[in-house]
Parts: sequence; C-alpha cells; structure tokens
Amino acid sequence: MKITLAMRGTMKKKYGDEERILELPEGSTCHDALMSQGIDYRDNKTLGFVSVNKMRVDIHTELHDGDYLKAFSKVYGG
Amino acid sequence: MKKRYTRNIGTISEEEQQLLAAKSVCVVGCGGLGGGIIEGLVRIGVGRLTVIDGDVFDETNLNRQVLSNQDNLGHAKAVEAKLQMRAINDSVQVDSIQALLDSDNAADFIRGHDAVVDALDNVEARLALETACSEEKIPLIHGAIGGWHGQVGVVMPGMGLLHEIYGEEEPDAEEGEKPTNPPFTPAVVSGLQVAETVKVLLGREETLAGRLLTIDLLNQEYEIIEF
Repeated sequence: MKITLAMRGTMKKKYGDEERILELPEGSTCHDALMSQGIDYRDNKTLGFVSVNKMRVDIHTELHDGDYLKAFSKVYGG
Repeated sequence: MKKRYTRNIGTISEEEQQLLAAKSVCVVGCGGLGGGIIEGLVRIGVGRLTVIDGDVFDETNLNRQVLSNQDNLGHAKAVEAKLQMRAINDSVQVDSIQALLDSDNAADFIRGHDAVVDALDNVEARLALETACSEEKIPLIHGAIGGWHGQVGVVMPGMGLLHEIYGEEEPDAEEGEKPTNPPFTPAVVSGLQVAETVKVLLGREETLAGRLLTIDLLNQEYEIIEF
C-alpha cells in the first residue's frame, strides 16, 4: 500500500519538510511508517501526536492505502 | 448599553453583550498569550476576570508580552495586568493571584468561573489545569506557541485533549519549540483564544470543542485536527 507522510512544527526541522510517499506492507502502523524513514521518535520528546486524514490517532494505529499521516511536534510555550 | 461596546454589536447581539457582563473567566498566565487574552476579554466586556501568574517581567519579555514595558520590569505580571486593565475598562472586575498554578492549587483557583483560558508555558501545569477543569466541569480554552507555530483548542470537561497532545513527558528544552517566541505568534494565538472564549461563554455551537487548530505562520498553513 502507499501512504503519504509529512512532518509538522519542529519535526520538519529535525526530519525534513518534504512530503514523502511510502510503500509499506499491508498491516503497517503509524509507528512502522515513521521507523521506516529512520524517524525513531522514542529517542527524543519532540513528537507530540500523529494524525491520519486529519484525525488524531494512536501511534500504533493501522494504516490503509491512500492515508495521509502527519507527525506534529509538541508546542508548549506561552 | 454602554457606548464603548457599540462596535461589538453585530458581531454579537445586545443580549449577548449583556450576557458577557454576567460571565467570569480565569486566565492562567499573564505573559505572551495571557496579555493579549486578558486585554481582549476586558475590551469586549466580560464581567469578571481572575488572572494568575507567579512571575515578574524581565527584559526578554519586551519583544512580545503586551503587558510588559520598560518601566515595569521586575513587577509582578498578575498585578500589572490588573492595574493596566483598570485603565482600559474599569467596569470589568479583575482579580489577580500572584502564584504558579500546580496540581495542588489548580482546582481552588479556577472554581466558580464560567471558562478557563490556558496561557501557560509548560506541560506539567497544563496537565494539572486540564485535570482541574475536568473535575470542576469548566470548559478550557487551550493555546500554545513556539517559534512560527501555534495551536488552539477547546477542551470540554472530560475530553482530555491536552493529555493526548503532550503525554506525560515534559519536552527537552532543545527539542521543543519554547526557546524562540516572536511577537506575531502570541498575537495570532491569543486573538483566536479570545474568539473561542467568547463563543464558549455565549453558548455558540461553532467552537473548536474536541478539535485542535494547528498554525504554521512560516508557511501559512492552518489545519484542524479532530480528536
């Protein structure tokens, strides 16, 4: 299946601001998609949440063909 | 109706203007976001505000915090907010609390208000505030900024939006977006928070309840994420 991956906020700075088209095995999750690009979000505390098709989802949610995955950084200043 | 509210009418009705005068809002944080929020709520005519901050103004605040100026550096932010708002609209009651909000005092500070506005600058206090708002059954209008980026959302009691966004971990200083804060980002986000607060107070349906508006001012990208 093919999905699109994009970064938001400081995730762009850290991992690149280009939109990526990924070819992933069926049953892949948001976690798998990020890891396939070397984006080990567990190494730091930059990642806030992920969305699929403009809906916030858990990182272990299964993806489907055509999904648009976005990874948002934590924004917390005031 | 007072002449000072003439330009509000049309955006809101005269009945809604009167309704705002009977409402109370607690604004937690009197810095970059808080200054704009407090001024907006005072100018539109909300009846009573409680403003909370345990910090004092310093020189690094001057680029963006509208309540700071060269003559009040070292002064308590919450006290300054109260003093300056009296000069803008003395029909609004502004009570100031000079303290840092935490899980021990949050519920006591917000109890009895019709809405609470998040103008904090750290994750730990935000999570404590969301928990207290949920327990006290008070809507929370969230906002946060970092560099070119910002976000705004409305958390109705029981939703837990901030716990989903932030998890339980405080971001690393160098990893997060806190270190840079230009003047335009808090101006945009605080204005949006005032609009959401007014809608919540008036019972309008068109709020960001259960959603998060994400803002990228560098690329001018605005996106609403459903939670």
